[in-house]
Amino acid sequence: MDASLIRNFSIVAHIDHGKSTLADRFLLMTGAITAREFKEQILDDLDVERERGITVKARTVAIHYKHEGKTYELNLIDTPGHVDFHYEVSRSLAACEGALLLVDAFQGVQAQTVANAYAAIECDLEIIPVINKIDLPVTRVEEVMDEIETVLGLDGLSSLQISAKNGINIEAVLKAIVEQVPPPAGDPDKPLRALVFDSKYDGYRGVVTYLRVMDGSIKKGQRITYMKGGTAHEVLELGQFRPAMTPCNELSTGQVGYMLCGIKDLGMVHVGDTVTDRSVPATTALPGYQQPQQMVFCGMYPIDATDFEHLRDELQKMGLNDASFSFQPETSDALGFGFRCGFLGMLHMEIIQQRLEKEAAVDLIQTAPNVTYELLTRSGETILIDNPEDVPDSGQIEEFREPIARVTFIVPSDRIGVILQMCEDRRGIYKATEYLGPKRAQITYELPLAEVIYDMHDRLKSATQGYGTMDYEIICYRNSDLVKMDILVKGVRVDALSTISHRSTSEKRGRTLVKRLKNEISKHQFEIAIQAAIGSRVIARETISALRKNVTAKCYGGDITRKRKLWAKQREGKKRMKQFGQVEIPQKAFLSVLESSSEE
Amino acid sequence: MPTRSAYIHVPFCVHRCGYCDFTLVAGRDELMGDFLKAIEIELSHVEGRPVLDTLFFGGGTPTQLPPDLLRQLIELIRSKFDLASDAEFSVEGNPADLSDATLDVLVEAGVNRLSLGAQSFDDATLKMLERDHRGSDIADCLARARERIPNISLDLIFAVPGQSLELWRSTLDEAIQLEPTHLSTYGLTFEKGTAFWTRREHGDLTQADEELERDMYGLAMDVLDEAGLAQYEISSFARPGFRSRHNQVYWNGGDFFGFGPGAASYQHGRRILNHRSVTTWLKRVLAGESGVGETEELSPEDRARELLVLGLRQTDGIEACEFERRSGIELQTLVGESIERLVKQNLLEHANNRIRLTREGRFLADSVAGELLV
Repeated sequence: MDASLIRNFSIVAHIDHGKSTLADRFLLMTGAITAREFKEQILDDLDVERERGITVKARTVAIHYKHEGKTYELNLIDTPGHVDFHYEVSRSLAACEGALLLVDAFQGVQAQTVANAYAAIECDLEIIPVINKIDLPVTRVEEVMDEIETVLGLDGLSSLQISAKNGINIEAVLKAIVEQVPPPAGDPDKPLRALVFDSKYDGYRGVVTYLRVMDGSIKKGQRITYMKGGTAHEVLELGQFRPAMTPCNELSTGQVGYMLCGIKDLGMVHVGDTVTDRSVPATTALPGYQQPQQMVFCGMYPIDATDFEHLRDELQKMGLNDASFSFQPETSDALGFGFRCGFLGMLHMEIIQQRLEKEAAVDLIQTAPNVTYELLTRSGETILIDNPEDVPDSGQIEEFREPIARVTFIVPSDRIGVILQMCEDRRGIYKATEYLGPKRAQITYELPLAEVIYDMHDRLKSATQGYGTMDYEIICYRNSDLVKMDILVKGVRVDALSTISHRSTSEKRGRTLVKRLKNEISKHQFEIAIQAAIGSRVIARETISALRKNVTAKCYGGDITRKRKLWAKQREGKKRMKQFGQVEIPQKAFLSVLESSSEE
Repeated sequence: MPTRSAYIHVPFCVHRCGYCDFTLVAGRDELMGDFLKAIEIELSHVEGRPVLDTLFFGGGTPTQLPPDLLRQLIELIRSKFDLASDAEFSVEGNPADLSDATLDVLVEAGVNRLSLGAQSFDDATLKMLERDHRGSDIADCLARARERIPNISLDLIFAVPGQSLELWRSTLDEAIQLEPTHLSTYGLTFEKGTAFWTRREHGDLTQADEELERDMYGLAMDVLDEAGLAQYEISSFARPGFRSRHNQVYWNGGDFFGFGPGAASYQHGRRILNHRSVTTWLKRVLAGESGVGETEELSPEDRARELLVLGLRQTDGIEACEFERRSGIELQTLVGESIERLVKQNLLEHANNRIRLTREGRFLADSVAGELLV
C-alpha cells in the first residue's frame, strides 16, 4: 500500500459532542457499512459505553474514500472522551498524524475539549476544528469559533460546520482529512517497527494486538518479536477493522490493523511495545508510552467466596484490555479474599466494576475508594499508601501528604459564585478566573484529589444545570491534617471500613457510617456499640439495644416444613455473615455502608 | 415401628380471621360433601388396618361440619383405623358453634379431648381478632362440654394490637378460673398474605412492642405455672398427665399420617405435604390424581437438627443418649460447641443430665434455633 494514500486520524471531543455519531457517518458514507447495518454508535461496542453514552476504549476502523480519482485509506482511531481516560487518548494519538477537534455548536469549548486538544498539539498532530450539531435550534457558531481561536489558539474561522446526526457537510470533513492530514512518514525499506497501541482478549482467538506500522511492513506467516516483552511468535492472521475484523496478507508502512499470534497468555502483550521482525530486527524500539498513574484505589471482593478464582481471571482479562488498571490480591477479615484495584479515576472505577458484574457475572463488594497518599515517616522514609490498612500509628508519621490536583472548570459566568463556594468548602486554593467570552468563564483551583474524585463532578453538574465541565491533573503531594478513621463493632475493628480523611470532615463521615451500620446489623442477645474512632479517640457512636424477644410462640403441628424453610433461610443467611468478635455482620451491610461514598 | 398417629385437616370456617394463614375456605360449606369423598379416597391408600394411639381433628373448624357430616367423617376414619384402648382423640372446636348435637356426635365417636379456640375473654380483643364469639360464650360452651368431655384445652392469643399487659393478665386469670386441663398461648404473628399483614404494611395496625410481648409471654409462664398448669413446651401448658400426646409425637420425631388439604404426614424419614389450596387438593384427589403438594426427604443431619430444635422447645429438653438413639447422630459432634456457647450466654442449661432452654432462652428460642442450625 502506497503510504501517500493513507491518512491516520483521531477524533477528539468533549463527552456528547457527537464523536461516535460522526464516526458512524464516515462508515455509512464510505460504504464500510450499509444503512441496514447502521446503528447508533456502532463503534461503542461495550455495553457499558452504550449505557453511559461515552466511549471508554479506543477503537479503530479502516475506511476507503475516493478523492480526485484516487482511493485513500482513512484509518480512524477512536478515542475515549472522559477525563479519566487521558492516557488512552494519548495512546491513540501516537498512532495518528491528524485529529478532528469536534466541538458542539451550542455548548462550545468545554473542559475536555481543551485537555484533548492540548494532548493532540503535544503529539504534533494536524488539528482540524469541526463544529458539530449545527442543526440544533439554538447554536452559537460565531462564539464557538472565537473560543476555538482564543482558548485553543487554533484557526477558528476555518472550522468546518457540520451535523453528524443529519449528515450535513460530512464530505467536507473527509476531504479536509485527505488534504490537511499528512500521510504517514515512516520508511518502508527499514526493518519492521509497529506500535502496539491497544490489545484485547478474545476468548476464541486469544490476544488481538492493535498495530500501527511505523517502518517496514508485516506479513502473514512472518516471525516477529515483541521488543519489550521479548517473546517471539508467528503471525497467524493480519487484518483491518472495517469495522468487522477483515483479514489481509500484509500491513505496510503507515497502515493500522490487528494481528493474531495465538497468544493465550494475557501478560505477554504490553501496550506501547514495538513489534519487529525476528530475523531482521530494528535496532531501537519506538518510544512507547509512560505507564499511567493510578490515583484511585479500592478493594473488590466477590460476594460469593467461591468466585475468587473466576474474579481473578476476569480481572486479568480486563487488565489486558485496559493497561491503565491494576490489581493485586489482598485479604480482609471482613470480606475475605479479594483484590486491591487501582484506577485512573472514579468513572474508570465504576466502569470496571460494572463490566465485571455485567460481562463477567461476578457480584462484588467494593470498599470505599481512596486516593494514593504519601507518608513521610519519623525515620525519614517516604512510602506510598493506597490502602487505609497500611497507615502506621500516628506516632510514626512525620508528614501525611495527599495528592493535589489542578482543577479547571468551564462554567456559565453567573454560576461562578457557586463553584467558588464548592471549592472553598473542599479545602480548595483559588488560582485564577478567565473569561472565555461574555457568558463563560474558566476557573482554576488547587484541590485535594480526594475531594475532587468523591462527588465533585456530580455537584458541578447540578450547580450548573449540566452546563459546567471540569478537568484535572495531579500536580503534587502536599502535607495535610489527615487521619485514619476506624470503625469498631463491640470493640472489634472492622478492617474493610477504615478510611483516610481530613480531620475536619472525619467526624461527619464517622457519624454517617455508624448510623448506616446500625441499620444493617440485627439485634443480638447483648448490646452492641458501634464506634468511629481516630486512634483511641471515639468520635461517633451508635448503640444497638439487646434483643429481648425472638420466639415464635406458636405450637407447630405436623406442618413443620414451612418453619424448616425459614430455618434454612436463616442458616443460608448465617453463611453470609461475618463474625467480628461476638457480633455477626451481614455481608449486605458492607455493601450498603460502602455503596455510596457521598455523605448525607 | 408402625405409624400410630393421624391428623385430619377440616378446612371449613364461617369467616377467615384477619391474622389466619391456615389452609381453609370460608363460607364454602357446599364443598363439604366433596371433602368427605376426597378424604375417603386418601384413606383408601393406607395399607392394612393400623392402630392409632393419637388422632387429631384440626382445622379450620372441624365442628363447622354439620353433625351428620361430622359423624360420617369420623366413621370414615374409624373404618380404616382402630383406636388403641387408651387412645387420645382430640377435636378442635369453636366456642361459638359447638352445639349439643355436635357434642353428641363427638362423645358417641369416642372423642376424649376438646381444644377450644377461646383466644381471649375480652370482647374488644376478640373483635380485633375478627372472632365470631364473645368472651362470655367460652364459659357457656365449657360448662356444656365438660360434663361429657372433661379433658379440655383452651387456646389464647397474646400481643394483639391494642391489648395491654393488664388485659392479658385478666384473660389468663379468667382462663385459669375455668380450670382447663391444658392451655396453649400463642404470640400473634403477622403472616404474609393475611389481612393483618397488609394492614400493618399500610400503618393501619401496630404490632405489639417487643418489650410488651416479652412481658406478656413471661407473665403467662409465671401465672400459669402458679395455677398448676406447668409449661412443657414453648406455648403449651398442662396439668400433670394432660400434655397433648399427639403434639408430642410431632415434637419427638414420631411418624404420623395426615389427611386433608395442607396436612402433613411423616413416615420413614419422608415428609409429605398435601396441597395447601383446598380447591386444588379437592380437584386433584377427586380426579384420581395425587393431592400431594410437596415431598421432603430429610437427610440424617437435617433430621437430627430438626429433632434438636423441636426437642429444645420442650421444657424437658433433650438427653444426649436418647437424641443419638433417635437421630443416629452424636449430639456432641453435631453441635457440641454451639451448645457450650449458648450455655455461656445463659440461653441453654444442663439439668438432670439433660440440656434445655433457660427461662431467658425461651424468650429467644428462635435465635437459639438459628445457632444450632449452622
